[in-house]
Amino acid sequence: MIAVLGLVVGVVVGLFVRPEVPAVVEPYLPIAVVAALDAVFGGLRAMLDGIFVDKVFVVSFLSNVVVAALIVFLGDKLGVGAQLSTGVVVVLGIRIFSNAAAIRRHVFRA
Amino acid sequence: MSDVEKNTGQGDGDEERPVDAPGETAESKPPLTGRQRLAAGLWPPRVSRAQLIVALLLFVLGLGLAIQVRSNSDNSALRGARQEDLVRILDELDSRTKRLEDEKQRLEGQRTELETSSNQAEEARKQTVEKEQQLGILAGTVAAQGPGITLTISDPKGAVESDKVLDTVQELRAAGAEAIQVNDVRVVANTYFSDETGGIGVDGTKVTAPYVFKVIGRPQDLEPALNIPGGVVQTLEKEQATATVARSEKIIVNALRAAKRPDYAQSSSH
Repeated sequence: MIAVLGLVVGVVVGLFVRPEVPAVVEPYLPIAVVAALDAVFGGLRAMLDGIFVDKVFVVSFLSNVVVAALIVFLGDKLGVGAQLSTGVVVVLGIRIFSNAAAIRRHVFRA
Repeated sequence: MSDVEKNTGQGDGDEERPVDAPGETAESKPPLTGRQRLAAGLWPPRVSRAQLIVALLLFVLGLGLAIQVRSNSDNSALRGARQEDLVRILDELDSRTKRLEDEKQRLEGQRTELETSSNQAEEARKQTVEKEQQLGILAGTVAAQGPGITLTISDPKGAVESDKVLDTVQELRAAGAEAIQVNDVRVVANTYFSDETGGIGVDGTKVTAPYVFKVIGRPQDLEPALNIPGGVVQTLEKEQATATVARSEKIIVNALRAAKRPDYAQSSSH
């Protein structure tokens, strides 16, 4: 419950406070958000499976974000940033879908 | 991957909640436990370390999500664009600007051309109208006005004949008359005079005394030309007619002649 509250508060703060993002971080923000979403879905699935460990969640969350940002950064340096970020989004999207399917089976039993 | 396909394969079945279809799930776990765990985690809010950490991370996620959505929606798409994209966009804009500049130049040139040609057409039209007026005065199809003289020949004895009138007209023409009318008949290049009983025929129209010549031309030339010794006035007086010449600054020659279109002759200039 508190976790859900945290999400809601984050969205509200982001919408109303309108914090200025440093220009260095800005290109990596969208991919980081997608990576974090993947971690969150993974965590939700783990919780439904009864194998949720907060430490694992924290590590996967942070490592997801960092790796995704790193890939995009590397891609930018190599001149294939657009293609690599597309690839990252596709992979993360597939993972999100599979996690969502597992969650769905738990929640809806179908 | 198979999960994805399964998911997309089931499609809109996800939306509705099947109440009792547990047979299909081939999970080893009893399906209710997951929901129970979810409900237990959701409802009695417990402040545990795990909850707090997850809340913090989700807060960060929400923040990033909101910022990204915000910067994507209220700023232009350029804000999040990568460097190479920006360079490409700039290039495209440059070439587009160049194209539009070219087009603008072309259109301006066209406009100038059209303006010039329309000016020329206007000028040509004006000249044509002017020419038409001049030729109309000569041909007698338009009225004319200007300085000139009025020559009145009264002929109580009926002694004035067509040859005298012709002499008068010749004299006037020689003195530079530009438009002449006798009573109500315009005198033009092919005017002829004939004798009629009790008058004179001008182009077949009978005019009777007194003959009033309205002549446009330079009065200082016209009057002496009539009055010279042995000239028109003296000759007429010999015939016991009286001729009076009056100068005027404004003579109106308003007798008209229908424009005649030649049947056979055509201009050979074009």
